[in-house]
Order: sequence, then C-alpha cells, then structure tokens
Amino acid sequence: MMNNDQFRGGMKAALPIVLGYLPVGMAFGLLARNAGLTLSEVGLMSLLVYAGASQFLAIEMIFKGMTWLPIVLATFFINLRHFLMSSNLSLYFKNTRFPLLGFLSAQLTDESFAVAISNLPKVKNNPPYLFGLQMTSHLAWVIGSIGGAFFGPFINVSGYGLPFALPSLFICLLVLQLKSVHHFGIMVVAGVSSLFFKWAFHGNWTILLAALLAGGMGVVVEIINGKQKAGGGRQEGQG
Amino acid sequence: MREEMLAIIFGMAVVTFLPRFLPMAFLTRWVIPERVKMGLGYIPTAILSAIVFPILFFNGGGELVIQPHYLLSAISVFIFSWRLKRLWASVILGMLIYWALGFFL
Repeated sequence: MMNNDQFRGGMKAALPIVLGYLPVGMAFGLLARNAGLTLSEVGLMSLLVYAGASQFLAIEMIFKGMTWLPIVLATFFINLRHFLMSSNLSLYFKNTRFPLLGFLSAQLTDESFAVAISNLPKVKNNPPYLFGLQMTSHLAWVIGSIGGAFFGPFINVSGYGLPFALPSLFICLLVLQLKSVHHFGIMVVAGVSSLFFKWAFHGNWTILLAALLAGGMGVVVEIINGKQKAGGGRQEGQG
Repeated sequence: MREEMLAIIFGMAVVTFLPRFLPMAFLTRWVIPERVKMGLGYIPTAILSAIVFPILFFNGGGELVIQPHYLLSAISVFIFSWRLKRLWASVILGMLIYWALGFFL
C-alpha cells in the first residue's frame, strides 16, 4: 500500500527524535514522580500535553505548590511559538481535510517540525508521512515518560552524551536550513536576539519574539533585494 | 486521579493545542500573499536559531554564561553536519563528542 510506505518513511525519519525523546522523557517521568505525580498522571500529561519544556516547567510549579491557572498560563506562553511553525506547515497542506488537520497539528513539536521541513518534498500534501513521523515521536515521548516514572531510580540519564541528543539534533537541523547568505544572516539575528530577549525578559516565550524579529527582517531584506533587481538588474559581489 | 491535577493536565492540553491547530486550520483555507510566504520561509531558520542559542549560552539556573563543554560540542556538530549533510550520523557524532569532551572538561 502506498500509504503504508509513506507512513513507514515518516517513522524512519523520526528515529533521531526518538533518540532524544526517550532519555528526556525519562528525565521528565523521574522528576514528575519526585514532584508527587502518580504514574497515570505522568502518562496522561505526556499523552495529552506533549510539550517538553512546559511539562518540565509545570512539574517545577506543581512542586512549588502552585495552582492550575498560573501553570496553564505559563504553558500557553511557552507554546505560542508553535503558532509560527503551524503557519509555516499550513503552506504544504492545502488539500487536507479539516479533521485530519486537527490530528496532524495536535502532534506538532519543535523537533518533528524541524525534521518535517528538512524533508519537504515528502511532507508536502502527504499526511501519512507526517503522521508516521509525529506518531513515532509522540509514542517515544509517552513511553520515555512512563519508563522514567517507573524505572527512573535505576537509570543514568546523564551518561553517554544523552543530555546533548536534542541540542545536537537542533544544530544539525539548523545546518540543513542554511541554504544562502540570507539564512546565515537570519541565524545570527535570531540567535543573538534570542539571547538578549531571554536575558532581559526570561522564559521560553522569548523564542517567539526573536524568531518574529529575524523572520520579519528576512522579509524586509527580500523586498529591498527585489526592488534592486527590478530597478537596475545589477548583481553585485556574487561569486 | 486528583481533580487539581486533571485541571492542570486538561488546561495545558487545550492551550498547547490551539497555537498548533489554528494557523494550520485557517491559513490553509486562505490565499497567502507572496511576501508573507517569503517571511514564513525564513521562519524555520529563525526558530531553530532562537531555540539553539539559548540552550548553548544559558545554564540550568537561567544565567547567561560561556559553557565550554556545550560550545565546543556544538561547534563540532555544526562543522560535521555541514560536511556530512546526514542527519542521523551527525546527531550521533554530536553525542559522542559531548560524551568524549566530558572526560576532559
């Protein structure tokens, strides 16, 4: 079956994510148990929320005795950045039906988004591929969390370079995106401004601010370049 | 399961779902102007950079610091994946480098 092949292709593409999610999920499960969550609460949160950074933050806040409202608000601001990723992916699913879009978008994460955009020809208008990618990642996150909550005390999650699995994945995915000098410029602007915003305002929601600033500058540069080409037709300093 | 915990989990589930779903649900039904499309095309680079840099330069306590272990590993991974252009191999190499550097730093 055509669909099965594509689903399987997506599952294969998820392997580097699984490598990162299992240990991080375990760390989460372990910490959540320490904060007083039950095994089923850990599993349910990883299944329904499925957002690493905000789950860690929620555990921290639960541990400090905070109530649901500040926790939910913090989660909202941290995950607002998915708004941009979802906007970007929307370009490639013009022909997909509404309920299907609901399922696809519910499993969107930083990592699956990053892997998806590095395989655009396979992803474009191809829900089974994205499903395979995201289902596998989601499963790894849930299994990792439950495993961590269950076996946590016996596992060394800080060994064998495991803490660097996700940073390493992000860097490799970033490199795959760097297709022109403009992309390098965007990287520097987004990187430096993300450091500044986080230093000034704290919190992961500043990622959104930095990404918007850099993306906006990219558009401005494109528009100026477009005008130059339309005006003089000159190409400067190339090669 | 405790009620307070269920409120937390379902509340979190709703506010994580909306930013994931709304743009995909509605932008796919609209015609997007070329310039906005160009901007959206830069967003992957922008987001990945905005995620990676703070990981490298902020420590667990939220302070802006130089972390040689992270930085050296990151630079090696950057060069490796630039040369290799293979996701899998580069990620593993990155972890190995981080692990190996742990013995020296």
